[in-house]
Amino acid sequence: MQRERVPACVHPETFKYFLERDAVIATWTRLAARYGEIRRDPGFKTMEVAGPRFTVRSTLLGNPVTVLRRRDCTPDDIAELHAILGYEEA
Amino acid sequence: MQSREDLASRLAMHYEPATYRRVIAGHDVIIHCHHYNARLQRTLEEARGIDGRGILTAAAETVYGDQLARALRDDDDEATRWAVAERLYSHLGYGRIDLSGVHEDRVSADSSHFVEGWLAGLGASERNVCTFTEGYVQGAVHAITGASVRVRETECMARGAKRCTFVIDRGERPPVAENVKTPAIAAPTAPGGPYVRAAHVDEQAIIDAVVGMPMVGDDAGLIPVFSVYLASTPADFYNQISIGFVEAMRALGREKAATRLLISDAEHCGMNTFRGIMHSPEWDGLIAPMVRDRADALHAIIAISNALGWGDWHVTAHTPTTLALESRHGYEAVGYRQHRGVATTPRCAMLTGVAAGVMELVYGEGTLDERFGTFAASERRCVACDAPACDFAVERVE
Repeated sequence: MQRERVPACVHPETFKYFLERDAVIATWTRLAARYGEIRRDPGFKTMEVAGPRFTVRSTLLGNPVTVLRRRDCTPDDIAELHAILGYEEA
Repeated sequence: MQSREDLASRLAMHYEPATYRRVIAGHDVIIHCHHYNARLQRTLEEARGIDGRGILTAAAETVYGDQLARALRDDDDEATRWAVAERLYSHLGYGRIDLSGVHEDRVSADSSHFVEGWLAGLGASERNVCTFTEGYVQGAVHAITGASVRVRETECMARGAKRCTFVIDRGERPPVAENVKTPAIAAPTAPGGPYVRAAHVDEQAIIDAVVGMPMVGDDAGLIPVFSVYLASTPADFYNQISIGFVEAMRALGREKAATRLLISDAEHCGMNTFRGIMHSPEWDGLIAPMVRDRADALHAIIAISNALGWGDWHVTAHTPTTLALESRHGYEAVGYRQHRGVATTPRCAMLTGVAAGVMELVYGEGTLDERFGTFAASERRCVACDAPACDFAVERVE
């Protein structure tokens, strides 16, 4: 899996993660199980799961996902999220 | 004590499609991001020779005291009144404030739009940055108890504190000023233009999507949308601080410098905010499929800004090096007329700066720092000067 940094005023460490195509549904299922229900915005055609210190948001296609961190987001929070996404830092 | 649903219903946003105005508790509100709000604050507070903090707190106590009073009901008990004050603060996106200690003259906040903006855009601060919240609490105390107090922040998250804390000083001070203004000039009824429309961008679909978003504070009282933190701020607040700043600087012979600073803040905002928006999932979901070239992106940006309440403005001419826009009911021009009457010079610094900023973003090259200043914008005529519309001209700086 790849990720790329995207410019976002909300946090300098904002990344877009490109999930493997056949892993999208399972990944969102795991995200919802850990962080709460998936919310959808039909106007902008987006979906998201809001964790306590970050939000995972994507288009309704579910991929790629953008992780928007809050300022109090910790390395442990991100490590747990990476495990759910299946992302390993190089 | 009223229910959460009752409190929310008092603060429901009403949208006026003819003018793109968003109204909450009797006030037109404008949506801007944390970068812009923090930059504006810094501009006022760091200008030498004027009391920028005083301008900010005076505007906040007047405007939010008035807005809160409009959200209160005669039969509200005191607990409900403080709950409405807390709820209004978070509903508008400023963060989470705890007013339960107000009778012991202390207030705290553990989430703050302005702290986020300061740290994200301006870096660590050596001083407390919650001037806005000081004014908000002063306005709330006045609306609920009738007292005019001073509120001072003693600890701030921008300086590493776990939460922002404030103390209330009930010593003598001048009374809180009323929100005095004349009724707004009527919105134009005849069609404007002619306007240039993008071939592929459904501007109304974008506007409908933005208006349909639940643009209210989350559990932390923040509005993380479009990869920025947004807040709904009364137009009266922006107008009072801008007018107060320019007038204070005029007294020092620095009016032009003041206007240039306000334009510069908006130019940065135009680039930073919309760069974030163009990389957001919201853009990817609805807008990116419509965008085939840079002109489409520009039109989409203008549509979003209209839905945020900025100006009822539209493109009248456009090339990769030039842009002309017409705004017929922008909050700056209309607000100036309400607060000061007819102006002698154009007053729409925010729209002027944003006009340059979006051209730099869409047609510029390189980093944002490299793009800044590569387009110049000017307001050729202004509703504040009794013109039928505000006209903006942007051209590349050769």
